[in-house]
Amino acid sequence: MTHNGISRYTMEIATALLTGAIGMAICYGAWQVGTGWTPSGPDSGYFPFWIGILIVAGSLVNLLRTVIGHRHKDETFLDAARLRSLARFTLPIIGFAIVSLLLGLYVGTTLYVLFAMRLQGHYAWWKSLASGIAISICFYLLFELVFQVPLLKGPLEHAFGIY
Amino acid sequence: MNNLSLLMDGFATILTWNHLMIMVIGVMLGMLVGVLPGLGAPNGVSLLLPLTFTMDPVSAIILLSCMYWGALFGGSTTSILFNIPGEPSSVATTFDGYPMARNGEATRALTLAFMSAGLGALAGVVMITLLANWVAQFGLKFSSPEYFAVYFLAFCSFIGMSSSAPSKTLVSMMLGLAFATVGMDSVSGGLRLTFGIPDLVKGISFLVAVMGLFGIAELMVTTEEGLSFNGIKSRIRIKDILRTMAELPRYWVSLVRSILIGIWMGITPAGPTAASFMSHGLAKRFSRHPERFGKGEPNGIVSPEAADHSAGTSALLPMLALGVPGSATAAVMMGGLMIWGLTPGPMLFVTRPDFVWGLIASMYLGNVVAVILVLATVPLYASILRVPFAIIGPVIVAVIFTGVYQVANSTFDFWLLLFFALLGYLFKKLDYPVAPLVLTMVLGHRAEEAFRQSMVMSDGSLTVFWSNSLVTTIMGLGVLMLVWPLISKLVGLRGWRQRLHRQKPQTHEPSTPDSRH
Amino acid sequence: MYTLKPLCTHQLRPLALFFAALTVSGSALAWQPDRPVEFVVTSGAGGGTDTFARTVQSIIGKHQLMDESIIVSNKGGGSGAEGYVYSASSKDDPYKLTFGTNNEYLLPEVGDMPYAADDLQPVAAMAMDEFLIWVNGDADYASAKEFIDAAKQNPGKMQFAGSQSKDTDQTLVSMIEEATGTEFRYVPFNGGSQALVQLAGGHVDANVNNPNENLGQWQAGMIKPLCVFSPEQLPKGEPVHEGKGWGDIPTCQSQGIDIAEYRMPRTVWLPAGASEEAVTYYQDLLKKVSETPEWKDYVTRTVQTSQFLSGDELKQYIDDNASTVKKVFEQEGWSAS
Repeated sequence: MTHNGISRYTMEIATALLTGAIGMAICYGAWQVGTGWTPSGPDSGYFPFWIGILIVAGSLVNLLRTVIGHRHKDETFLDAARLRSLARFTLPIIGFAIVSLLLGLYVGTTLYVLFAMRLQGHYAWWKSLASGIAISICFYLLFELVFQVPLLKGPLEHAFGIY
Repeated sequence: MNNLSLLMDGFATILTWNHLMIMVIGVMLGMLVGVLPGLGAPNGVSLLLPLTFTMDPVSAIILLSCMYWGALFGGSTTSILFNIPGEPSSVATTFDGYPMARNGEATRALTLAFMSAGLGALAGVVMITLLANWVAQFGLKFSSPEYFAVYFLAFCSFIGMSSSAPSKTLVSMMLGLAFATVGMDSVSGGLRLTFGIPDLVKGISFLVAVMGLFGIAELMVTTEEGLSFNGIKSRIRIKDILRTMAELPRYWVSLVRSILIGIWMGITPAGPTAASFMSHGLAKRFSRHPERFGKGEPNGIVSPEAADHSAGTSALLPMLALGVPGSATAAVMMGGLMIWGLTPGPMLFVTRPDFVWGLIASMYLGNVVAVILVLATVPLYASILRVPFAIIGPVIVAVIFTGVYQVANSTFDFWLLLFFALLGYLFKKLDYPVAPLVLTMVLGHRAEEAFRQSMVMSDGSLTVFWSNSLVTTIMGLGVLMLVWPLISKLVGLRGWRQRLHRQKPQTHEPSTPDSRH
Repeated sequence: MYTLKPLCTHQLRPLALFFAALTVSGSALAWQPDRPVEFVVTSGAGGGTDTFARTVQSIIGKHQLMDESIIVSNKGGGSGAEGYVYSASSKDDPYKLTFGTNNEYLLPEVGDMPYAADDLQPVAAMAMDEFLIWVNGDADYASAKEFIDAAKQNPGKMQFAGSQSKDTDQTLVSMIEEATGTEFRYVPFNGGSQALVQLAGGHVDANVNNPNENLGQWQAGMIKPLCVFSPEQLPKGEPVHEGKGWGDIPTCQSQGIDIAEYRMPRTVWLPAGASEEAVTYYQDLLKKVSETPEWKDYVTRTVQTSQFLSGDELKQYIDDNASTVKKVFEQEGWSAS
C-alpha cells in the first residue's frame, strides 16, 4: 500500500496468488478423475492436471518476478479518486446481481439503472427511475413478446400474474 | 456451367417480392439477435423455427439463412462499438475494431467490418456454387488427427507475438484451456472439474466469459478513467462511409488471405471463431507494422471479419453437400429441414433442386441485402455512442446480464460473469494478454477431444499425427507458424517480404519511420 | 400452489368450463396450464431429441391442443445432463416438460451426476428409435455375418464410431461384443453426425446410428445398413438406395447377433412432485399428439416405431430397460457406484 491508494506491486502479488489458487484447484479436480495415461490415450484428468501445474508454475514465476525484482513498487494501481469512481460503477453491478437473484431481472434492471444513473451521472431521481422502468419494459417487449425467451422473474411479476 | 444455369433457376425462384420481404425481415431480426449478446445466431434461428412450420421450405430456409447473415453482421457491431462480442466469432474483431472506434472512427471501423464481411460471405457462396462437390469430398478426408492438426495450426498462427511477459501469456493461455475442460468429458463420458456444483455440469459458457472479460472489464477501465468513451463524438456523414469503401482495395492481401483461411476453416469444421482468430494472427504476423495491431489497425478489422463470414458461409456447405451440420446454426436449420419434410443429404441436390439452388441464390442476394441494411444502420449505431456514458453504461450492463441469463437460464452465471469481469480487469491493468485465454477457451476443448479420439484410434501412438501427407502437412504448417518470427529474423526475410507486397502507408495514421532500416 | 391466476385465465374460465362440459372425460379439467409451458430439450438445437420436441410443439400449435404458448429451451450440455439438472432443480413445477431419451435414467448410473433418476417422473414414451449397424458404402461386407466374421479375424482392430461415451451407442457396441464374442474399438464422437462423417470418410469401420441420422447419406450410397436391432423387420416403405428400402434390412438376430431388441425410447418427463393431475393432463395431451397424422408422418419419415406408453406400462418399460443396460454397465465396469 502506498499513501494514495493501492500499489501495483500489491495487485501483481494478489493476482499471481489468485491464478495460482485456480491452478491448484484445477490440479485437485483433475486428480479426482485420474491423471494417468491409459492404453487408449490420456485419462480424463491428464490434460487438466498438467494445465493446472503450468498455471501454478506461471503464477509462481509472476510472483517471484514481482517480489524478487521489486517490480512496480512505485506504480499506483488505483488512487483514491479512481477507486471511488470504480466503486460507484461496480457496487451497483454486484447489487444488480443480488437483487436479480431475489426479485428477478426486471426489478433488478429497473433498480440498477436507477441507482447507476443517480450515482454516476447525478441525474434527477425521476429521470433515473423513468429510464429504469422504460428499459425494463423494452426488455419485456423484446424478449418475452418478440423472441419468446423468458427472463428471470421474481415475486413481483408473479403477483401481477406474469410468469 | 450446369451449376450456373441451375443457379439462374434458383434466382428465378427467389426473385419475388414475397421472398425479398422475407429476406429483409430475416436480416433485420438477425441483426437484432446478433447485437443482443445472449441470443446469438443458433438461438435466434431456433426461435424462428416455429414460425416456419407453416411456410413452404424455400421461404422458410430464406428466412432462417438471412437471419443467420444478419446475426453474423450484428455480432461485429457490438464488438466494435462496445467491446462486447455479440457472437463468439466476432471476438477477434474487438482487437482492432474497438480501438479504432475509440479513436473516434466508429463509422470507418463499422464500414470496414461490414464491407469485408460481405466480401468474405460472397466469396464463400461463389465457392459453394462452383466447387461444392469437390470441396465436400475433400472435407471427408478429415478425421480426428487432421482436426487436431487444424486446431494446432490455428493456435500456432495466433500465439507467439505478444508484448507481455511470457509467464503472463502462459498463465492466460492455460487458464483458457482449464476453463474449457470444465463439465462433461465426452471421451470418457464422465464429469470433471465441476467440484460438485450442479451449474458447472454444462461447462463454463464461452459467451459468459467473453462478456465478463471484454464487456464489463472494459467498462470498469473506462469508468475509472472518467466516465466517457473518448472522442467518439465525431459527426457521421455518408461521405465517411463512401470514403472507407474506396479505401478497401488497399487491404486486398489481407482480404484474400482471410477469405482463403475462412473457407478452409469453415469446411474443416474448426468454424468461424477459429478462422477469425487465425486470420487476425496471420495478418499481424505478416504485417510490416505488427506493432500497430491492437491499436486500431484496419487490417486487423478486415481480416477477422472476412474470415468469419467466409467461414460462416462455407459452414453451410457440409449441410448441403453431405447432409451434416457444419456449425451450430446449420444444425438448427437441418432440424428445420426435417420438420418441413425434406431429407438433408447429398441427394437433396437431385430430389429438390429448386430448394437447394433457391437457398444458394438467396445466399448471394441475402448477403447483399444484409450489407446494404447494416451500412444503413451505421449512423444509427454510431449515434448511440453520443449518448452520455452514465446512461449507456448501465444499459450495456443490463443487456449483458440479460444475455448471460439467456445463455443457460442459470443465475450461477451471474457470479461467473462477475468473476470473469474481475479477471479481465486485473489482466488489463497488469498487462496480462486476454486474447490467448479466449482463443484457448474456444479451441482447447475441441483440440483435446480430437487428440484423445486420435489416441483411441491409434492405440495411444503419437505417430498418428505424421501418418499421412494431409495431417503431416498441416502439422508442419503449424510448426512453421510457431517459429516464423524466429525464421524471418534469422534469414532476414523481412526486407525481402516488404519488397514483395508493398502496401501504401495509412493516410490517417502518423507514419512512423521504420526503425529497422 | 399457484393461487394467483393471471387475469386472462379468469376471463377464459367460463369458456373452459363450457368446453369441459362438452368433453366426455372430465379429468382433463382437473389441471390446466395457466401460463406458458417450457419444453426443456436435453439436446442441442438440431439433435434428435430437439426434432422430437419441436415436432410435438408444432403439432400442438397446429391443432390448438393447448391454450398456453410453448417455450422451447435447449439444454444439451453434459450429454443432456444440463437439462435434467435444470428440471430436477425445479421440484414440483408442472411447467417444465422435459424431453429426452433413456439417458434420463442412464446418465446417473455411469457418472456422478448432480441429479438422481427419481428427481423426474416419467410422463410418456412416444416412439422407439431403432438402431442399425452401418458400414461404408464401398465396404466389402454384404451382410452383418460377414462383418462379424471379419471382426473375429482382427479382434480389437475394427472401429465403431458413436455418439458420446458410455451412452446408448457404446452400450450397444458392448452388447454386440458380448453376443458375438468379438472385440471392437469404440471411438466416441460428439454426436451422431460426426460419427456419420467419420464413417462416410472411411476413417472408421462402422457405426450404430439411428435411421434418421443416416438416411440422407444412405440415399447417396455413401454408407449402407447391414442389420437392424428390432424384433422384426422394419415396415416396407419407399426404396431408399438401389431399390432397397428400410423393410429390406434383415434383423440382426437373423444374422447371428443374438440381440433381439435394442431401441431408444423418446421420453417426456416432469419434475418429481408435480401433481398427478398435471401428469394426467400432459399424458392426455401427448396422447392426442400421437394420434395426429402429422405425428405419424414424423415417425414414418424418421423411421421410428410409434409406441405410446404411459402410467404403469411406462414404469415397467423403464425398469426393464434400465436393468438390461445396467447389466452391461456392470460388466464393463462403468457403473459410478
